[in-house]
Amino acid sequence: MTGIAFALLLTAALTGYMMNRRAALALRDGGQRLHSVGMFHGLYAVLAVVVPSVVVILLWLMLQAPVINAMVMSGLPAGTLDGLDSGARQLAQAEIQSIAGGRIFGSPESWKLDAAERLNSLRGLSGWLMVAVVALVVAAGLWLTRRSVAPQFRARQAVERIVLGLMIFCSVIAVFVTVGIVLSLVFESIRFFQMVPITEFLFGTRWEPQIPIRADQIAADGAFGWLPVLLGTLVITFVAIVISVPVGLMSAIYLNEFASPRFRAVAKPMLEILAGIPTVVYGFFAILTVAPAIRAWGAALGIPVAPNTALAAGGVMAIMLIPFISSFADDALSAVPRSLRDGSMALGATRSETMLKVLFPAAVPGIVGGVLLAISRAIGETMIVVMAAGLIAKMTINPLDSVTTVTVQIVTLLIGDTEFDSPKTLAAFALGLMLFILTLLINIVALRVVRKYRELYD
Amino acid sequence: MYDTTRREGAVTQDDIKIQARKVQVFYGDKQALKDVDVDILDKTVTAFIGPSGCGKSTFLRCINRMNDTIPIARVEGEILLDNENVYDRRVDPVQLRAKVGMVFQKPNPFPKSIYDNVAYGPRIHGLARNRAELDGIVEGALRGAALWNEVKDRLTEPGTGLSGGQQQRLCIARAVATSPEVLLMDEPCSALDPIATAQVEDLIEELRTQFSVVIVTHSMQQAARVSQKTAFFHLGNLVEYGDTDDIFTKPKDSRTEAYISGRIG
Repeated sequence: MTGIAFALLLTAALTGYMMNRRAALALRDGGQRLHSVGMFHGLYAVLAVVVPSVVVILLWLMLQAPVINAMVMSGLPAGTLDGLDSGARQLAQAEIQSIAGGRIFGSPESWKLDAAERLNSLRGLSGWLMVAVVALVVAAGLWLTRRSVAPQFRARQAVERIVLGLMIFCSVIAVFVTVGIVLSLVFESIRFFQMVPITEFLFGTRWEPQIPIRADQIAADGAFGWLPVLLGTLVITFVAIVISVPVGLMSAIYLNEFASPRFRAVAKPMLEILAGIPTVVYGFFAILTVAPAIRAWGAALGIPVAPNTALAAGGVMAIMLIPFISSFADDALSAVPRSLRDGSMALGATRSETMLKVLFPAAVPGIVGGVLLAISRAIGETMIVVMAAGLIAKMTINPLDSVTTVTVQIVTLLIGDTEFDSPKTLAAFALGLMLFILTLLINIVALRVVRKYRELYD
Repeated sequence: MYDTTRREGAVTQDDIKIQARKVQVFYGDKQALKDVDVDILDKTVTAFIGPSGCGKSTFLRCINRMNDTIPIARVEGEILLDNENVYDRRVDPVQLRAKVGMVFQKPNPFPKSIYDNVAYGPRIHGLARNRAELDGIVEGALRGAALWNEVKDRLTEPGTGLSGGQQQRLCIARAVATSPEVLLMDEPCSALDPIATAQVEDLIEELRTQFSVVIVTHSMQQAARVSQKTAFFHLGNLVEYGDTDDIFTKPKDSRTEAYISGRIG
């Protein structure tokens, strides 16, 4: 039915376009001066037909299932559902639906078969009704827009207004989704903070979320201080940034200023490939290659090294970030006007002096912005640390020790059978909220820094 | 026939700062400059005029080897600065550019303070032994560029905050600060208003007392006002070279005459 509705819609849109355009051209050929060219009269008809009917179809599809179900359930013979609790009612409803879909298990009661038949007929009716309503809307649209064709009618502005409205709608979607995600995080976190005091969460130095799920289980009471988890995140981020920023910057500077075109033609795509590797593959690399290598070096040097060190996770994360930082810095350097480079060279500066004293300082705002965004990414990175970092939260800043991160804890808290009213599960939302606030703050600072330097230099 | 030494008995070999011999420039396969021979005098303003794309800027950029920074550019022939070929393999282009300063079409101050802009060259070449000496060089260069009185109270402010004309004089000060022997100017006034242009032109007149100035310009009035010698380029050829007064009053070549009377260009 939906297919028929859309076919109807498309045909009408096309007809409306041709009809209005022809009418407008006829007016023009009759010697009238048109305000808008014929195409806009046609487009106006298309939009007036398509936009309202698409809205009708989508609303219809969204609302028909619950409405029909309610009608079927209320149409059951009196007393059938008496004595059934809500779970059993839902079960009955599901069975009716599967019978209606042609999947009959065993021999259901006759009232269920009747209900299924009723469901099917209601669905058919709803489909036809939808087509009828769409036809009505389409016809109204065609009639109204055909009437609007006149020399003075500003079809061009009308079309632009409608398109503007569509653009506003599309951009508002992103805003609403963001607000929705934040609100869901906030509400779940509030439920968590009703069970665990917020001060304990923010300032506690023990993170042991293994609380008993059932009353008869024996386990620790559970402690929800996020500081060790945060510290672990910061240690891994620090390692990643300390490695990736110098490597990324140096490679960008080399590629931008010194490399021969041939080398650049090879190295640039390689860096882009590095950026395209899925993080789970970096995870393999961390546990199978980097972590054992670090452990072997530690053993050779006589230093105690944990099996899953912050150094391994951070180091591999650094490899992931190198192309990110490098391309950011490359763009920032390329954006420096050629006249500055020429000016410096003409004063007898070498290429390295030009880079160090003119190009690099001029590119600093872009580079700082890129580094801060890289920090945000490192803090939020999940797959590599889930595979390569530890699970136990420790208050340590030793990169050779095993630490855990906020993202790892969120994943472990939510994996498996979970109850959505225990603090163990809700803690994941509180951690998620903190992560969101942290990265948001860094992004704000990044934008501020970029803007401040730009004021100085432009 | 462009040999000024022969035509004007008063000029001696010592006064010649730059001698170009059979200079040809290619950008890839395209030839931009054909067999240019010219003698540029010391303590003189020489103007290069000609329609767009005639090769005058290209030739200017050969003198301090700025064409080296363009990968596809190729230069043939000799350019002698004080009788030493600047394209000789022993010559370091970086050292050469300290001796041959350049000012560009669009003011291009570095995103640094006014002071640091002027001190850039002296710092790179180690011209000052201490801060006081550097201060002296900066002040001298800014005075030389007639900018000192306007900026002496705000040397720490960014050079990019100055007006267009001030920026261009800052760039001149920056070039003067390395005490060059030749100053190349590539249409230095094309982005400036008439008042700023007049200031820069006065400045060029001042600078001539210290070194040789070569200026590329689209404005024939400007060439007539500031220069003593003029060279007319057309389609990659040096058509005519001589005293500015002669070029503008009694050109020998019909193409020069056509250009200065506004029929080609």
